[in-house]
Amino acid sequence: MTRTIASLSLAAALLSLPACASKATYIETGGTDSIVSVGEVDIQDLQRAASGMLESLIALGTLQNAPHQPARLRIERVVNDTSSAFDVGELTYRMREQLVNSGQATVLTAYGANAESPEAQERLKQEAFRRGETSVESLEPDFFLTGKITQLKRSAGRTRQTTYTFRLTLTDSRTGQEAWTKVVDVTKQGQKNAVGF
Amino acid sequence: MIRMPRPAIALVLFAGLLPVACGTVNTTSTRSAPSEDSVATNAQINDLFTEIFLHVRGVRKFPTRSGVLQAQVDVANDGFNTRGFSYLFTWQDERGNPILGPMHVWKTARVAAGGSITISSVAPGPEATDFSIQVRRAEN
Repeated sequence: MTRTIASLSLAAALLSLPACASKATYIETGGTDSIVSVGEVDIQDLQRAASGMLESLIALGTLQNAPHQPARLRIERVVNDTSSAFDVGELTYRMREQLVNSGQATVLTAYGANAESPEAQERLKQEAFRRGETSVESLEPDFFLTGKITQLKRSAGRTRQTTYTFRLTLTDSRTGQEAWTKVVDVTKQGQKNAVGF
Repeated sequence: MIRMPRPAIALVLFAGLLPVACGTVNTTSTRSAPSEDSVATNAQINDLFTEIFLHVRGVRKFPTRSGVLQAQVDVANDGFNTRGFSYLFTWQDERGNPILGPMHVWKTARVAAGGSITISSVAPGPEATDFSIQVRRAEN
């Protein structure tokens, strides 16, 4: 009798295994159910970096001091100098969304394959000049946004640690001087990737 | 019944106290009065375990250089181990509606045993007048 019960219990346990397998599901982007990777930049890292940058920029009021309101911003090169492959636009577009949609800044865009590129904007200026229009002035930015993302990897035994440093700078186009700069660090430590934080 | 010699009992008690002493934080402050920007808050506790060890010790709200508001929350850890947690600030306009956007994201922090940290958030714009904060124990 005991052996029968034990066999049935084992069979039931084995049958329940497929049901325990994790099914694909939707989660909140960057929410606490997200995957945390030790050696990669995750979506929540980019969200946190963008949020940290925005908080600093908004608190200091740098954009409020621009000659034009809303401030004119040209996004230049932001270098991803990490071994993690991701588009830096994931960072800058989140910042743009907040700044542009809240009316604190406008990002200079033109047209073409890459509307934000200086080449596209230069072409727009030249065409305006040919037409004898004076709208060239409208493309002069108040600030240039540049930046770099770097990483620092260390390990102790099987534990790995990576610090991703996001740094952005606003340069005043009239003076060429740094008007705002901010560094946001994200450090992750562990032996393997995990679900949830 | 097993009888232990007194030195052995003392050693066991000492070993038991070690984890309490190691890694805890002692704090010294020059100010005893609360900050002039302290604000009263209401709390809804759903996870008693979090409340017992991690609790909010002070909340402040004040204007930044640009005029938008900044919130600061002191979180203290009365437990015996370093504890991690996630938190989410939600700013609200004067009508009480939440302001959502790219700045509305979960962040994480860790507090050493016996210590406290200050977490902060800057409002997304001048329309934000109040905020709420959700605190959740870390998964690991």
